Amino acid sequence: MCLFRSEEHIERWLAGRPAGATIPVTTLCDLAHAWWHDRLAPDWRPHTTEQNQAILDACGLVDEFWHLA
Amino acid sequence: MFAELGRAPTAVEVGAAMDEAADTVTASWRRLHDAHALVLDGSAIHMAHPFSAVPTPYRVDADGRSWYANCAWDAFGICAALGVDGHIDTTCPDCATRLSIDVRQRQPDDATVLFHCLVPAAQWWDDIVFT
Repeated sequence: MCLFRSEEHIERWLAGRPAGATIPVTTLCDLAHAWWHDRLAPDWRPHTTEQNQAILDACGLVDEFWHLA
Repeated sequence: MFAELGRAPTAVEVGAAMDEAADTVTASWRRLHDAHALVLDGSAIHMAHPFSAVPTPYRVDADGRSWYANCAWDAFGICAALGVDGHIDTTCPDCATRLSIDVRQRQPDDATVLFHCLVPAAQWWDDIVFT
């Protein structure tokens, strides 16, 4: 789970390995906020798989790559 | 305590804060590890997502303190968890060029950067260190 300068840099880094998924850093920022904004709440409990899948869906990450189970 | 200290607390430190024995704390951590809410290395915290107990390529400065994140996702997650603006320093894995991103009001100041996730979501916990 890394940040890259561009698609060209990702392709070169992969060096022929199958690509995973690439998203804009703005989407990542939205995803991170939805996923972790409650992490330090005193009553925090781990999200369920369903809750986390709903977060991914809300960020538009709906294809099979992003299916948690 | 991780957020306050800028590093992972020990079981002894957490036990002292909670008036519990270190062994009790470690047993609780093991249950959290099994529930994928914590990652242990032996009996010590390795990851308390989004925070990393060991140095990584993702350094986050926020609210006057610094932490390491486990990955790019968690770097933004630290700002989100703290509910503050922050600064992320890392490098492009391809060319080693420094990537320096300010997060202001939940948005990165450089929208041209891309995030790549190599491993499909269903396999993340097969090896959470490599995703």
